[in-house]
Amino acid sequence: MALPLKYNVQNVVVRWRSTLATILGIGLVVGVYVLMQAMAAGIEKSSANTGSPDNLLVTRKGSTSESSSIVSREQLRSLLYSPEIARNAAGEPLVSADVLILLNQPRREGGGEANVLMRGVSPRGREMRPQVRLVDGRWFDSGKREVVVSRRLAARFANFELGGRFRSGPAEYTVVGHTDGGGSAFDSEIWMDADEARAIFDRDQYSSLLVRPVDATAASNLVSRIETDKRLQLLARVESEYYAEQTSTAGPIKLLGNFLAIAMSVGAIFAAMNTMYASVGARTREIGTLRVLGFRRRAVVASFLIEGALLASLGGVLGCALSLFMNGYAVGTLSFSTFSETVFEFRVTPWLMAKGLLFSILVGLLGTLFPAIRASRLPVIAALKSL
Amino acid sequence: MTLPGFVIRNAFRNKRRALLSTLSVAASLFLLVVLQTFQREFTLPPEDVGASLRIAVRNKVSLGQPLPARQRPIIEKIPGIAAVTPFTYFGGRFKDMEFTPFAQFAVDPVAFTNVFVDAKLPLDQYEAWLKDRSSCIVGEDTVERYGLKLGEKIKLVGTFYPVDLDLKLVGIYSGTLDDRSVFFHHKHLDEMLDGSQTVGCWWVRAASSEEAPGVISTLNDTFANTSAEVRAETESAFQMGFVSMWGNVKLLIGSISSVVVFTLLLVAVSTMSMAIRERFRELAILKAIGYRRRELFGFILAESFGLAMVGALVGAGGAYALFQSLDIEKMTGGMLLYFEVTPRILAFAGTVAVALGIIAAVPPALAVARTSVVDGLKTLD
Repeated sequence: MALPLKYNVQNVVVRWRSTLATILGIGLVVGVYVLMQAMAAGIEKSSANTGSPDNLLVTRKGSTSESSSIVSREQLRSLLYSPEIARNAAGEPLVSADVLILLNQPRREGGGEANVLMRGVSPRGREMRPQVRLVDGRWFDSGKREVVVSRRLAARFANFELGGRFRSGPAEYTVVGHTDGGGSAFDSEIWMDADEARAIFDRDQYSSLLVRPVDATAASNLVSRIETDKRLQLLARVESEYYAEQTSTAGPIKLLGNFLAIAMSVGAIFAAMNTMYASVGARTREIGTLRVLGFRRRAVVASFLIEGALLASLGGVLGCALSLFMNGYAVGTLSFSTFSETVFEFRVTPWLMAKGLLFSILVGLLGTLFPAIRASRLPVIAALKSL
Repeated sequence: MTLPGFVIRNAFRNKRRALLSTLSVAASLFLLVVLQTFQREFTLPPEDVGASLRIAVRNKVSLGQPLPARQRPIIEKIPGIAAVTPFTYFGGRFKDMEFTPFAQFAVDPVAFTNVFVDAKLPLDQYEAWLKDRSSCIVGEDTVERYGLKLGEKIKLVGTFYPVDLDLKLVGIYSGTLDDRSVFFHHKHLDEMLDGSQTVGCWWVRAASSEEAPGVISTLNDTFANTSAEVRAETESAFQMGFVSMWGNVKLLIGSISSVVVFTLLLVAVSTMSMAIRERFRELAILKAIGYRRRELFGFILAESFGLAMVGALVGAGGAYALFQSLDIEKMTGGMLLYFEVTPRILAFAGTVAVALGIIAAVPPALAVARTSVVDGLKTLD
């Protein structure tokens, strides 16, 4: 027969002082674990959330990212009037030749300097990325050194407020609008007119082409045509797939998170073991009584394991609750693929919380196993005699 | 029985608990040391003898923007400059690797050896490098890692530049802090790019450290209001720029460290309280036979302090020994270069342990002090 669950619950409550310390300890371990994973999830989410499956992104073969790619004007010309490419109401082909430029700009409040990605974008490019909405101010006018900045970047960099002015290269720019990219990689970009940016930074060539094919068949035709054309040396990919692959920054963070979780949980397991051993020690007579009443060893072990798991899962819940405070908090770090500041949010997903909870229960079980076995092996008579 | 003997006996009367407490302190301090070392790795630029003399000159816009080659004669005329070389990051991929752990730079071989004076290269290899425009020299570490041999061809697929390189390895250098890079003729890159007139950066060596600040401001002023304004800074400042790009990650590691310390404190206090609670009766007897509160606090403090110190020794000392014996540079593919546990970090861990030992003794000591002898004697476990 199994011991009633109520016994364990009451035990946890009665020894509240050491219980509280253990719960807090495990809670903090789980909190750190969930937060680190939430950070990686935030990076992945912002990449996965970017671009449209209807567009193709064309870059130079061999370049690892859009910002290191080069597309010449000849290459643009040879693709611009392809029959596979859709046209807008005015009859212009839906092709945007963008140029990407890294700008070194000061952060707010003396946070040093960091690279920001500036995208020179054509009017068509804006049309083809409906994900990016204007939330404040207006769009830039070409030729007036005007830019729009993502709202998230504006919060992190000096001079990016509406009406703010900053210098880079031979020109000074005015921020006329703030955009929102809906949690996508576009939230880490400054936009200005493509031709103007090319003129200012003396760029003869483009970085990438964004192309809207007529339909899915046209898309795959275009991809294979570009692939096989040896003169072009270009690579076309579905825009959303390209961005989904740009998650290299998440790797090291996940790794660090796992390492931290393991190292911290080792400490937590020792601490939980300590608490449970003490708990067993204090209850020696109680356990003896239970055994005399006819509860089996198995039941005692199970009961203690349940108690440990219960204790730890309380910590797990606490940890998840703590991590929820950080949900949606925006942070920025260096992206390995664009070599510029990438802004993303902590994403504490239900799945991550479930993982955190499971993790805490595992810590609890591991910490309780040996004390539980010890409890079950106590000689009954001696246990009853003990004070 | 002597007093120290009494304390030691007490500490080990429950061997299992003593062990577990020590180990949990050790695990946390190990983590703390690792985190601190990690943070140091990212915040401290490598330093060597020549670093204080070397000046990096990049485009003011950002590293991604090239500089015109025509700036070179102007830079050479600035007084206080001993040598200047173009320094262009090629960013090639080696053997289809996802992440190529060594950098490749296009330089002017003659000027290069005058700027990077600590690089040691046998004279015959140097001459061979000068002679062959499509040759390169490679750092000792990379050569060893990939088992490269003199005369071998090194293929690099361009990621920034639309060209691929096929360089003949003619020299192996050593003696710099980071012997991993590949250096090749800038003229070769220019030719491959059909007569490109740009460079990535300039690397300059000032004649003396007194002249370096003057050279930096002259460089910045000379190109102000030209089409390619520059940012000149010491090599270490240049590398610190990368650190600041890490953004919140630094803060994050800092806050995790404090969470670890806090958890540690919690566990230690709880353990000490547990240890004291079970001998409340004995402490009451000690009180009854005339020991003072101060002395009882001394007993508890000595025990808690001792446990914390042993934990620190195992945890921090273990981390130190581990990273001394492991070749972190090889294990992480060059992502982490030194991963050195410095005396400063060890001292920090030691301080945390001392504080821990003292603070953990306070709550149980207070509880003992507050309880009257009679109540203490009445306690049943």
